[in-house]
Amino acid sequence: MASVDIVNIRKSYGPVLALSDIDIQIESGAFFTLLGPSGCGKTTLLRTIAGFHFQDSGTILVNGREIQNMPAHKRGVGMVFQDYAVFPHLSVTDNVAFGLKRKKISSALIKPKVAEALRIVQLEELAHRMPHELSGGQQQRVGLARAIAVDPTVLLMDEPLSNLDAKLRVDLRGELRRIQKDMGMTTIYVTHDQEEALAMSDVVCVMFGGIIQQAASPFEIYRNPANRFVANFVGANNFLAGNIDSQGDAILTTSDLKVRSIEGGISDTKIAVSVRPEAVNVSRGSHAASDDMLTFDGNIRQISFIGRELEVHGKTHLGDDVRAILRPTSDLLGLAEGDPVTFAFNRDEAILFENGETGRRLS
Amino acid sequence: MTMTTSNPLLKPVYIFGPVRFDFWTAMTLLVIAVLFVLLILPIASVFFVSFLDEDTGAFTLANYVEVFTRNYYVKGLRNTLTVGLLGTLGACLIGVPLAFFTARFRIRGKALISTLAILVLVAPPFIGAYAWIMMLGANGFITNFFKGLGLNLPTIYGAHGIILVFTLKFFPFVFLMTKTALGSVNKSFEDAAENLGCNALQRFFHVTLPLVFPAVSTGAIICFVLSIADFGTPAILGRGFRTLSTIAYSAYTSELGGKPTMAVTVSLVMMAISILALFIQRRFLSKRRYASALTNRPVIQQLKGWRNWGAHAFCYAVVITAMFPTLVVVYTSILETNGPVFTGEYGLSSYRRVLLDAPEAIFNSFRFSLIAVAVIAVFSGLISYLIVRRENAVSGTIDVLMMVPYLVPGVVMAIGFVTTFRSGWYDLTGTGLIIVMILFIRRLPYGVRSTTTNLRQIKPSLEEAAVNLGASPLRAFVSVTVPLILPGLIVGSLMSFITAINELSSTLILYNSKTVTMPVKIYISVLDGEFGLAAALSTILLVCSGLCVYAVFLLADDRESSFV
Repeated sequence: MASVDIVNIRKSYGPVLALSDIDIQIESGAFFTLLGPSGCGKTTLLRTIAGFHFQDSGTILVNGREIQNMPAHKRGVGMVFQDYAVFPHLSVTDNVAFGLKRKKISSALIKPKVAEALRIVQLEELAHRMPHELSGGQQQRVGLARAIAVDPTVLLMDEPLSNLDAKLRVDLRGELRRIQKDMGMTTIYVTHDQEEALAMSDVVCVMFGGIIQQAASPFEIYRNPANRFVANFVGANNFLAGNIDSQGDAILTTSDLKVRSIEGGISDTKIAVSVRPEAVNVSRGSHAASDDMLTFDGNIRQISFIGRELEVHGKTHLGDDVRAILRPTSDLLGLAEGDPVTFAFNRDEAILFENGETGRRLS
Repeated sequence: MTMTTSNPLLKPVYIFGPVRFDFWTAMTLLVIAVLFVLLILPIASVFFVSFLDEDTGAFTLANYVEVFTRNYYVKGLRNTLTVGLLGTLGACLIGVPLAFFTARFRIRGKALISTLAILVLVAPPFIGAYAWIMMLGANGFITNFFKGLGLNLPTIYGAHGIILVFTLKFFPFVFLMTKTALGSVNKSFEDAAENLGCNALQRFFHVTLPLVFPAVSTGAIICFVLSIADFGTPAILGRGFRTLSTIAYSAYTSELGGKPTMAVTVSLVMMAISILALFIQRRFLSKRRYASALTNRPVIQQLKGWRNWGAHAFCYAVVITAMFPTLVVVYTSILETNGPVFTGEYGLSSYRRVLLDAPEAIFNSFRFSLIAVAVIAVFSGLISYLIVRRENAVSGTIDVLMMVPYLVPGVVMAIGFVTTFRSGWYDLTGTGLIIVMILFIRRLPYGVRSTTTNLRQIKPSLEEAAVNLGASPLRAFVSVTVPLILPGLIVGSLMSFITAINELSSTLILYNSKTVTMPVKIYISVLDGEFGLAAALSTILLVCSGLCVYAVFLLADDRESSFV
């Protein structure tokens, strides 16, 4: 298995900077996910590693060896494609053997390797089928078997589950992770699905505008987003309009709703106060704030009961939209549109960001 | 982590900006070289010659001035536009209703109608022209039949005859393109029109026809370009009615030895008209792109009573009339002749004469066409890959260049070949090679188009997967791309073959006694009054084309649109 170091990779399409000085270190055996909205550069980066695009500058090292100027077919990195890319004119066996044949391995050795790859993805029984006789999920298993059969140094996966239906997607992602762990294969995975990224990865790397916003463990990404973009893109979040007043205190619009004091001499700035929906509490009537809890009045706009939890949409008297996710209780279920309520959250749960799409984290 | 410095020898090679030199870069250079020598150079040399004084060789605009002022040429220009426009109009007037009837109404024998229309398309136009002479010429059997009844029909010679032949020859383009388009108009549009208060006729003119207009106009533009460039029909039916293509040809034959300045100038004017027409159509279409999801397929309606009879009568009348000349040719081929006179008995002596007098024409036709098509197949694969998979300025240029052979009349191309490939050091004229070369370049677009359409349906990730698994770009192309585009490649090659084996206008200028082809021999036989020989050769040509059409039908998914 191999470590991957990406050093200062830069790539532009005309005036558009697709990748801006990307620096990534991936440990051997890690499951590393590139997460971001479409057009963020994640697929461009993956395809640059595979050799389908060439960087303008920068270095890609696999186990310390430079590969960035090698032609794609000599890089020895495996790839699983979004649209499966299973050769429609070859049987399952021939698809899996394709890469082995290119390696000039004797046919006696190819057979057991194909069988082993098909066993890993649990497709032994379908070895002689043609691709059109397979379902989407089965085709993607062939794509995976084909990629791992050649013992790649690194496995690249470009949204491999996005063309599958929801149930299969969840099943297959568990299986992918199991196979990856068993083989200890360094994997770079591209997805726009944050749940998939959080569930599977050792490290999640959030990209936007060709720039890495944050690379950290799923827990860190969720609990300690580095900037407003990460806080907004990963998981649901409330962003309440706020200010830092002349004393350096972060407040929610009016000075009696103080969140906390800020160090670093910032004052008189507009900010966003973010708090996760699961950290927001809702209760009937009006309640005063305590040392820990910040409270503010508002009204119910919509209540959605979605089984395990209750989703409450409201509007505060300060004009912010608030979303809360709560355990359903009969009292809360009785709320109706327009009812006056108090929203509350623990001051420690709030994270403060500068305004703007990728606003810096303040505290 | 240690940073290794790059070895300068491993640095990528940049040629056109940041393009790495690989197999496909080499192929791009090869394709550009071939297109430069066989396409750009001949056209440029023709262009160059048109600005030379015939005697002194000095630069002059006099040739163009002469074309636009001398009555002989101005009349030719007017004649060309007249027959071109009216022929196209005629083709639309029968092609659009035929398409509408067969696409929207239950017509019995729909497949037969389409097949006949396609057979009309692949038969060389001059066969039709001379068959019409046999029917409606001065001594035609229909003329004679009516003469027997005391009626003197107008003869087929002149503008109206040419327009009739163009209409019946080229309507399949309008028909097939419109029919395909009608099959993909979302029915919801028509339902909406009806819901908003349109009756059937209003709905057709206000909604359906505008929606398929891009296809109709594309069919029409093909008719127009082919009508303008057509040489055989006005040559056989003209009788003093000259079009630019016949003027260019006779100017060329009378200028033999000297510089073919007038032939070339006239040809270029012809080409300019085609390009202008295409340009206008493109400009017009650029604002009319209708993308629509085919969620609601058009339904096929069963007509009742006289409407049903009328629709059937129209459809069959059109295709049978259009096929009639071809049937006459086949029939004539089994008549016994004595020189130009038919004896009235049946027999195969015309075919015997073909074997005695013109075996080399058959041999040459097949040899030249097959070699050209083999090379076309290889280049179609390469060029379509460059166009579809390598989207850059160079492949974009190649894509545009693939339009050029459609627009350059055979006469222009052939004269360009003569001026390019005959010089002090080398002379390719009169060789089989020059004919193979011109067939190759003139028919290459058919192969490229069909292959390109096929390749666009194949996901690029398949080739990427092959490369990712260790196949070199060439290997990936051969082991993955080629097997997947094989249907398109074969259909394209068959289309190239059909059109190559029927080629007349360019080969007529380039042939000599050793390189006579079937269409040339037919043309000469018709001029010599050897109708029996011409009919037998034409029948052989028709059978070849028919077999290719059958093969396309077996192989192509979307049979009818393969032909337009």
